[in-house]
Amino acid sequence: MLSAIWETEGLQTVGIVMLVFASIKLLHLLGLISFSEDSVEDELELSTVRHRPEGLEQLEAQTRFSRKELQILYRGFKNECPSGVVNEETFKVIYAQFFPQGDASTYAHFLFNAFDTDHNGSVSFEDFVMGLSILLRGSIQEKLNWAFNLYDINKDGYITKEEMLDIMKAIYDMMGKCTYPALREEAPQQHVEVFFQKMDKNKDGVVTIDEFIDCCQNDENIMRSMHLFENVL
Amino acid sequence: MAAGVAAWLPFARAAAIGWMPVASTPMPIPPQEKKKGKDGLIILNVSGTKFQTWRTTLERYPDTLLGSTERDFFFHEETNEYFFDRDPDIFRHILNFYRTGKLHYPRQECISAYDEELAFFGIIPEIIGDCCYEEYKDRRRENAERLQDDEEMDMSNDVTPVNLTPREFLWRAFENPHTSTLALVFYYVTGFFIAISVMANVVETVPCGMLPSRAKELSCGDRYALAFFCLDTACVMIFTVEYLLRLIAAPSRYKFMKSVMSVIDVVAIMPYYIGLVMTDNDQVSGAFVTLRVFRVFRIFKFSRHSAGLRILGYTLKSCASELGFLLFSLTMAIIIFATVMFYAEKGSTASKFTSIPAAFWYTIVTMTTLGYGDMVPKTIVGKVFGSICSLSGVLVIALPVPVIVSNFSRIYHQSQRSEKRRAQRKSRLARIRAAKIRGTNVYMRYKQNGQINSLEEASKEAGKALVAKARSPPFESQHNHLLHCLEKTTNHEFVDEQTFQANCMEISVMNKTGSCASSLSSSPHGLSSCCSRRHRKKSSFSLPSTNNQELSTIQIRERPVANSRSSLNAKLDGTLKCDKPYITPSMVSLSAPVVTTSDGHGSTTTTAYSQSNIVRVSAL
Repeated sequence: MLSAIWETEGLQTVGIVMLVFASIKLLHLLGLISFSEDSVEDELELSTVRHRPEGLEQLEAQTRFSRKELQILYRGFKNECPSGVVNEETFKVIYAQFFPQGDASTYAHFLFNAFDTDHNGSVSFEDFVMGLSILLRGSIQEKLNWAFNLYDINKDGYITKEEMLDIMKAIYDMMGKCTYPALREEAPQQHVEVFFQKMDKNKDGVVTIDEFIDCCQNDENIMRSMHLFENVL
Repeated sequence: MAAGVAAWLPFARAAAIGWMPVASTPMPIPPQEKKKGKDGLIILNVSGTKFQTWRTTLERYPDTLLGSTERDFFFHEETNEYFFDRDPDIFRHILNFYRTGKLHYPRQECISAYDEELAFFGIIPEIIGDCCYEEYKDRRRENAERLQDDEEMDMSNDVTPVNLTPREFLWRAFENPHTSTLALVFYYVTGFFIAISVMANVVETVPCGMLPSRAKELSCGDRYALAFFCLDTACVMIFTVEYLLRLIAAPSRYKFMKSVMSVIDVVAIMPYYIGLVMTDNDQVSGAFVTLRVFRVFRIFKFSRHSAGLRILGYTLKSCASELGFLLFSLTMAIIIFATVMFYAEKGSTASKFTSIPAAFWYTIVTMTTLGYGDMVPKTIVGKVFGSICSLSGVLVIALPVPVIVSNFSRIYHQSQRSEKRRAQRKSRLARIRAAKIRGTNVYMRYKQNGQINSLEEASKEAGKALVAKARSPPFESQHNHLLHCLEKTTNHEFVDEQTFQANCMEISVMNKTGSCASSLSSSPHGLSSCCSRRHRKKSSFSLPSTNNQELSTIQIRERPVANSRSSLNAKLDGTLKCDKPYITPSMVSLSAPVVTTSDGHGSTTTTAYSQSNIVRVSAL
């Protein structure tokens, strides 16, 4: 009699255990829980994007680079990005190699957005070369335009203090920790204040494109530095 | 670091325009771009394989050969390319380094060849990329071990026992038993006594028959107590002496006492001494019995005698983490299954699973697939979980075991390789020696032919059957000429081994008798020259040391020879008279017995050398 009770209890134990396993399996099938960490791999796109740029003549016409210069640029570009387009990760990696002491990823992110004019998440060679053409061979107006575009993170035509602060922090991040004098927490903020004092003429808390260009054209230092990289290529 | 992405530098500089408006201070002046060299193609001809790359690619790394002006040394004007007489397969990787900024190590290349190429092109190996770094480091370590093995063998053989203090000699005898016969004897004797001692411990406990006065059987140890005691004493005495000798001879006593083997030695002999000291008190004898267990540690002393045991111990030590994992996973599984089994069997009558710890025993026995059968589940549930337990036991144990096995196999093969290298060392040295002798023989033949030719011209003996040697290759003749120049410089000559030994005997004879050249013929034996005796003594060691000794004796012995040579010359002048007036004996060498002398004494064999008045004349 007693053993019968124990037998049924034992069978009940089995039943409960099997129920638990079955429910776990069901949840796994439904995708609510995952056991392995490598489900990330399944999400990778299997097709890599291949992009071929426009012909050399067209690019020559559109940009202010000579044929030879375009050739040199493309060779370097293709070396790092064999698929023909740069995505943000690769862009960050490449840019970070030039600034080993600090963290260049934030600034690279902003740069990427500035180059990616059609906002499709990747920078093709045309975008790259167009951007460089402006930066290296453009007029002052175009260069300042480009810089304004860089600072204006949400592309609404106004630079706010928050946007400027982000940019400034990104620039200071590239310096890293080991600087002289030692980097203080408030340095970016102070820098932003100085910038706004200079640029914001009507003190409305934002800087518009005209204010920006006006102010820069009146500043001798900035004018001189705009011509700094003319003969880079 | 950024040289790999050097092509993007213009972009990074252009992007710096983004900082300009926010900068508060003026920017520094950019570096003057020196007139850009034409960004042309460079042709690199490496042993016939042509590589081409842009000039700027190479100039990314200016502190390497290809990136600096050092490559101008390799410029070949006729073909307008840079020619390197190196391995093109490895050069491929070096050029890839310039292109991609990452240095890769090809697995199929020899590590030393690769290192040499890197050194030649001025690239430091530390910049090998992560993908290949592990492999490179492993191979490098193996190579270093191999070199170290060779060096150790060299060093252990080169140190002559004459220079060792007795203490060092003793230590060396202990560590390498095959260096002297005494050490070998000691080695075998200790091994024998270890075996005897272990066997005595085992046999002691065997029941040996009954005494009529007692009811139960006696073990052999109790019956022949005195005999076993004497045996034990003898063994322990030997072990103690051995331990004390090792302690005395050890170069660093502290380090020796900390080592594993010495601990085992101490533990092996301690129980005896403690037993001696302790009285026959009943209370203490229980502890004494426990101490006797430690006598079994004597068997570990065999690890000095067996390399396999040492390897096993080393393997276990190096697999400590895998063993730890095995233990941990087993413990986890045991606890889980013991709990389940206990609760499953709780209901059955007269269940042996009285508690969870009691169920541990069942779980261990089941998981290791032993299955003694002293504890079996009776309920259905218990049987179900019992079967799951045994299945999982097989898996859990089978998983870490291959790791341990592969570790053991790797270490074992390594020791096999070093053993093989050690064995082949003798044949390797013999090969090297044979090559040296061949070279010497070539030179000897060259000299003979050279002398014979000049002699022939001088003496106009047309009928001599001379082996007109085929024209030796220019390299060989230049090499021989070089050796000849060296001989002239030092006023000594190269001889081969047998001649030299004969010389030794001759010279000792001459020194003893103090007479002139006429007494060159002497009994080769009898007068044991120090030279030959030293040679015999050295025969047990490696050959390079022998050669060293020989060379030094050459230098020592040459003085007396020179003196005797002058007397020989004087005698020769007299002998030669005016038959060959244009031969001026400038140097005489007691060598090359094949050459016939001017007065016709023919002796063509080395053995009969001592009987002949052999003089060779080398014309100036």
